[in-house]
Formats: sequence, C-alpha cells, structure tokens
Amino acid sequence: MACTCAALVGVACSSSSSSSSSGLSPNVIALPADNVAEVSVDYGLPNIGYIDGLFAKITVCVPGSTSDCQTIDHVLVDTGSSGLRLFGSVLTLSLPELTDANGVALAECTPLMSGSLWGPLRSADFSIANEQASDLIIQVIDESTYPMPTGCTGTDISDPNDLAANGILGVGWSLQDCGPSCAARVGPSNSGMYFTCSSATADGCQAASVRVAQQVSNPVAFFSQDNNGVIIELPAIPAEGAPSVTGSLVFGIGTRENNGLGSATVIRLDDSGDFLTKYPTNGSASFAFIDSGSNATFFPDSGTTHIPTCFSAKHPEVSAFYCPSSTLNLSARVQDTYGMVAFNVDFSVANAMNLFTSQYDVAFDNLAGPDSPPPSGTGDTFAYFDWGLPFHFGKNVFTAIEGQATPGGSGPFAAF
Amino acid sequence: MQTIPLASTLFRNVLPTCAFFALLLGSSPASAALGGDVSSIGAGQTHLLASARIQRAATHVMHELQAPTGTKVREYLGNDGKVFAVSWQGPFRPDLRQLLGTYYDTYIQAAKGRVARGPVNIELPGLVIHMSGHQRAFYGRAYLVDRVPQGLSTDEIR
Repeated sequence: MACTCAALVGVACSSSSSSSSSGLSPNVIALPADNVAEVSVDYGLPNIGYIDGLFAKITVCVPGSTSDCQTIDHVLVDTGSSGLRLFGSVLTLSLPELTDANGVALAECTPLMSGSLWGPLRSADFSIANEQASDLIIQVIDESTYPMPTGCTGTDISDPNDLAANGILGVGWSLQDCGPSCAARVGPSNSGMYFTCSSATADGCQAASVRVAQQVSNPVAFFSQDNNGVIIELPAIPAEGAPSVTGSLVFGIGTRENNGLGSATVIRLDDSGDFLTKYPTNGSASFAFIDSGSNATFFPDSGTTHIPTCFSAKHPEVSAFYCPSSTLNLSARVQDTYGMVAFNVDFSVANAMNLFTSQYDVAFDNLAGPDSPPPSGTGDTFAYFDWGLPFHFGKNVFTAIEGQATPGGSGPFAAF
Repeated sequence: MQTIPLASTLFRNVLPTCAFFALLLGSSPASAALGGDVSSIGAGQTHLLASARIQRAATHVMHELQAPTGTKVREYLGNDGKVFAVSWQGPFRPDLRQLLGTYYDTYIQAAKGRVARGPVNIELPGLVIHMSGHQRAFYGRAYLVDRVPQGLSTDEIR
C-alpha cells in the first residue's frame, strides 16, 4: 500500500513498505503495532550520553507468571549479536536458573568490545510490542553468583554504567549466540563460551559442552509468529546530528503488510554472518557486517585515502574516530561472498570532534572511525568493515534469521 | 564482468609470506606471553596446545598454536627468543591475561573509558593492540613497537 506522507522525524505512515537504499525516497517507518516496537536513539542512561546507541524497552516475567514481571528500558538493540542479556543489578525478578543434566548451573563468558560479560543463564518469559517468547534462555550479567573464571578476561563490564545500557537485546542472524560449536565436546572444536558452575568458589566453573536448546537464544526466533527476522527503521537525520531520534523495530519479514522486503536488496551472509565491502570501491575487500550495536561506521582506510583520526590530549578516547578536515562523501562497494550481488553504497565521514561539540546531539549518520591502525605499507589490512548505527538512518535494514523462510529466501541475510 | 573474489582467497586464509616454511611434527614448544620467552609460562598454564605449525623467517619465528577454544593464536619470536607480537583469530577471544602477560594491565588501563562501541585500537608508545570482530568471529593482534624486527612490516602480524 503506497504511503503518501513523508517520513520526517517523528512522523510515520499508517502502513509501511521498505524503500530503496539510494536514499532518494525517504524510508517509510511502521507505526507501533503488534509486531512493531518503538525504539529510540537518545541520551541513554542518566549522565552517560551514549552516542549512536539504539534503545528499546522490554518486559521479562518469571516463566508462567503474568504479574511477576519487570519492564526494563534502555536495552541496547543489537543486530550484531543474538541473545538477551540483562544486568543482575537491574533485574528485580528471581528467574529460574538453567542447569545441565546433572543439575549443575550453567553460566557464560561472552566477549564484548574490550571485555567480557560473565553470568549465569536464566529463563524468562520475554515480551516486546505484542510478541512473546516463553521460557527464553537469557544471560544475567552478574559476577557475584559465580566468580569469573580466569580465562574470561578484559575490561570489567559488570554494571550498566560500564555498558551505558541496562542490557543488550541481541536480535541478529543466529538462533543462539554460540550454536553447534558450543555443543561439541570441550576442546578445540568448542568455542569455550559456556561453563558449568558447581560451586561459587574461585575454580567453581569449568568449560562445558551445552546443547543448542540450552544456549542463550535469539528472542525473535522464539516468538510464535513474526519470527524470521527483524527490520530496523530509522528516519534520516540532518548532517549535524540530532538530540533524539525515534524509529521502529519491526518483527518479521514478509509476515504482515507492514514488513515486506519491498525493493530492498538481499545480501546473503556467510557462516560467520559476514559479507564483503571494498573501500575504496576498487580497493581490496574486507569482511563486512551490519551491526546496529556498533556506534559508528568502523572501516579501514587504505593507504591512498588516509583519513586522520581525532586527537585530544584531554580525551584520548576520541582517537577511536575519524577527523577529516571537512566532511567526506565516500562510496564503498558491498558484495556478498557468493558472487551474487555487488553494488555501491554512499556514506559520509564527518569530523567527529566537530560533531561532539554539540552538547545535545547524540545521533549522527556520519560518525566513523578506523577498524585498524593505518597500514604501514601495501597489502590487505587485517580489518572488518563494520556498518554500524550511522548506516541505518534513512534506511529500513533487514536481518533474516538463519534457516527461517522469508519471501526473499531463507536466512541468514541482510537486506536494505 | 569483474571477478568477485571467493572468501577462501581473502585474508582469513592468507598467511604471511616467509622466506622459509617448515612443519615440525611432534614438537611442543611451550607458549609464552607478549614480551616473554618460552620460560615465561606460568605454573599450571597449559591453556595453549602444542604448536600446530612453526614458520621460520630471517627476522623471526612464528608459532601457530591452538587455544582450547578453537581459536588460532600466533606468537612471533624475535632472534632474541622473546615474543614481540601475538595475534589471534577464532570464534572466541583467547585469554588476554595469558597472551598479553605483563602488558595486560596496560591494556586494561588503556581500554577503559572508551566511548566507541566497535573495534579496539590502542596505540601507545611501544605497544599497539587492535581487536575487532563480532559474535562468533573475533580477531586481534598486539605488538611491541620497538621490538618488531627490522625488515618486517607490521602488516604481516595477523
């Protein structure tokens, strides 16, 4: 059904279909509905000022209960991972623990950014919009129930302030966060994310083999309908940024009138969830992925287009972003790994320090940073092209779950 | 029509070119941390399995080991027998405390306070650490800038 009104910030049409990725026609954003949850890019937790973070509000209940429930806001919407993870310090419910066949508790070490999330597995009835998943296996981030094993390393992420969010809603392409490799016997074939914890002492947790049905799961895959993927729909924003942006997280691809693929191009993903991107368009290819949980476009700049990174003696962390002297309008070539699709995508890279001088803006469609130190010579840089949240503004971006049928074929795929 | 490269030809499977390549079967040199040598392995640390491969070049020796989690770890030793670089690739991030050794605390201090949620790039005088990837596919590398042998490009540390 055609939509006649423009998709301005905060204004949406009564029905929605996806639009082209060229940006020439504004994307149409679905209104809240049974399968549509409102999401927002905003300041985040009080006093944190999260830049380019997409947040949702979710509800969890003790399994089988409709009253023993808790609604939690500012959960990061992350298409780069699968699984719901909530900080134990935020959760007020007492959720049942997951145990193995011998009754021993299960826990997980989840690598994230520079650190790891550690904590026990629990089950919960999960709901968002009018979609529900019963007995969903989630991770509670909590280092006090069982001590972190020594092999679970990195910066401490045990408190919402460490993440600047109350949790992570991983709604990516995979059914579980680990999959068959964590069901393999402990050893070189097992990714080593899961542990059984027989006691709360220092060595109480041991690496374990956990069958797929007991792993932390993609909530969307366990809805009774609209369970084959998600669409993130955010309006376009001005080049200088915006203080807050409201959009939609739509459940299902092609399951209702409001979630068809429309003219989006399907990009099938490989076994790791990746496709390819060449920057410049005739340069060497990096593996690439779309990730609403990354808060910039992170990519390697080749030796020929050396984009300076930001420098601030007072805030050394800004070196994670690019600072060209003026905004660059660039183009990259997106391809799948199967030789089926290839097309160019335009994107902008603004001077991040200029963006940050605005005290109120937190949403930017042109924030970017390096995914590798600049190469010292020629040759492939060891880097990914991470199409993070900035890529999503003004587009409807689809993530299809592995093995689930959609009108565009089975997942896993990305489409925009 | 432009040839689109297959995944198998891209960096995931590319090895650094070296002057001399050798596969030693049955040897089991101990693993070592960044900056350490083979005697720096701690008591009871058998996390890293025996070298699957050893690659020798004029400037260094690279040991490729497999972490218990299936992650491939490479250690680069200079002619002084000390590890000047490490790299890793796999579905789980390896034990950074063990891999970075005495540089682990420096890493923690440098990584705190990051506002970027994406790759980790730490560039300190003398130490570079780069980590990237996503769920199911992590990789990274760390090297001691002043100890990278002359004639070896840091691009080959991967």
